[in-house]
Amino acid sequence: MEKLINKIQPLADPLGRMINGFTKTLGNLCLFVFQTLSWIPRRPYRIKNLFKQMEFIGVQSTPIIMLTGVFVGAVFALQTGKAFAMFNAESLVGATIGLSLAREIAPVFTALMVTARACSAMAAELGTMKVTEQIDALETMAVNPLHYLVCPRVIATTIMTPLLTAVFDLVGIIGAWFVGIKLLGIGEASFFDRLYFYVNLRDFIGGLVKSGFFGFFISLISCYSGFDTKGGAKGVGDSTTRAVVVSSVVVLVTDYFLTTWILEYFSQGPSV
Amino acid sequence: MIKLIDVHKAFDGQKVLDGVNLEVPKDKIMVIVGASGVGKSVLLKHMIGLMKPDKGKIVVDGVDLSALSPLELVEIRKKFGMLFQGCALFDSLNVCDNVAFPLREHSNLSSSEIKAKVDEMLAIVGLEGICHKMPSDLSGGMKKRVALARAIILQPQIMLYDEPTTGLDPIMTESVDNLILDMQQKLDITSVVISHDIASAFRIADQIAMIDNGKIIVSGTSAEFAASNDPVVMKFIGRK
Repeated sequence: MEKLINKIQPLADPLGRMINGFTKTLGNLCLFVFQTLSWIPRRPYRIKNLFKQMEFIGVQSTPIIMLTGVFVGAVFALQTGKAFAMFNAESLVGATIGLSLAREIAPVFTALMVTARACSAMAAELGTMKVTEQIDALETMAVNPLHYLVCPRVIATTIMTPLLTAVFDLVGIIGAWFVGIKLLGIGEASFFDRLYFYVNLRDFIGGLVKSGFFGFFISLISCYSGFDTKGGAKGVGDSTTRAVVVSSVVVLVTDYFLTTWILEYFSQGPSV
Repeated sequence: MIKLIDVHKAFDGQKVLDGVNLEVPKDKIMVIVGASGVGKSVLLKHMIGLMKPDKGKIVVDGVDLSALSPLELVEIRKKFGMLFQGCALFDSLNVCDNVAFPLREHSNLSSSEIKAKVDEMLAIVGLEGICHKMPSDLSGGMKKRVALARAIILQPQIMLYDEPTTGLDPIMTESVDNLILDMQQKLDITSVVISHDIASAFRIADQIAMIDNGKIIVSGTSAEFAASNDPVVMKFIGRK
């Protein structure tokens, strides 16, 4: 028995520590989410901070969203145009891209781009504030840091991610239109007829709802990472990396579950 | 009055505070001295509820901090002002906005009244005309004085200073010491000062306490502290 224990112990110890660490982090994250939600409705409303964050997360992310959106639409049109040409189904290119963009590609790509551009900065800024005692200073001045720092960021990301998704949808279709119609010579009428026929408003709204959830998740994870920063510059770097990696994974994993729910409740129209 | 009763705190199994008992008298200046890394800043953070003790009580004006809800803790913190070791100025705000921050949060003063008050505070700490500079443009000493202006702008009942004179030249050190004394005399506030600087401690303190190995080893008036026969105290003040 003792021999067995001696053999198992080197494996069980780190595994136990890992489970313990994971449970602790998950518990702290849940507490963080609960406390943030409980502070959101409390006065004073930090409208100035909210608009500042909306400007940073939304307005300043628009160029990069447009750039990625137009090229994603373009390359998607190129691939589907070539593939569908093999069985004379080029007329479906517009509808295929429209559906994919509205339901899946725009919400996921937008969330990933917002994570890379804005949420990484959020984690780094809050992490720096943590290690330089600025968050402690807020508390000593009787200002709740969650209320002052986290709530505006979470609300701003939850509002701006769907708006950026709508921009991504639009420029993605423009990119697809340019490649599909101007370069591959697909008929404009069939491209748009099928697009209008198959892509329903519900698909578009379902995508926006999904991206709202993504915005909420990624902002909370990034703010939590920032608040959980320990040490100096290395700690800030680590928490920024953690924020980006965890947010990206959470976007991709929750995408499946949100899609299952959205397909059930938002896509019950005549479309595919 | 602040009272610490049998306060214990450990980080990752390492004991930092090991049964600290200390009483900070009302309207007096208490200086807590000790070697680097003995837990002086940790002790100060317990007094304002930034850290919770693993065991023991911190009582401020008869209220046990560990029994308070987060909202009640926010209320009691309005009594405090704190100067951090690293200044903790908000690096996204300029000097004026940093100093005005507590007033904007907790007063109904107009913009012009806030501006006047900020100018007054900056004049007190000897820093006129730097209102629109960012914290990154300031020297260490200037940052400390801006942080001090921010800490005193609400005229707190209790001031906590975490190494207020570290990094300052002797002239500025004396002026900060005088400022601490002035604040205490004019406003009758209770002050707790963490310091390495024994000369500065003797200049301003009504009471001096020394922390070592997680415990308060000596606490008393400046004269009592100077006369202590504790070997750690004797070594610290350079007495043979």
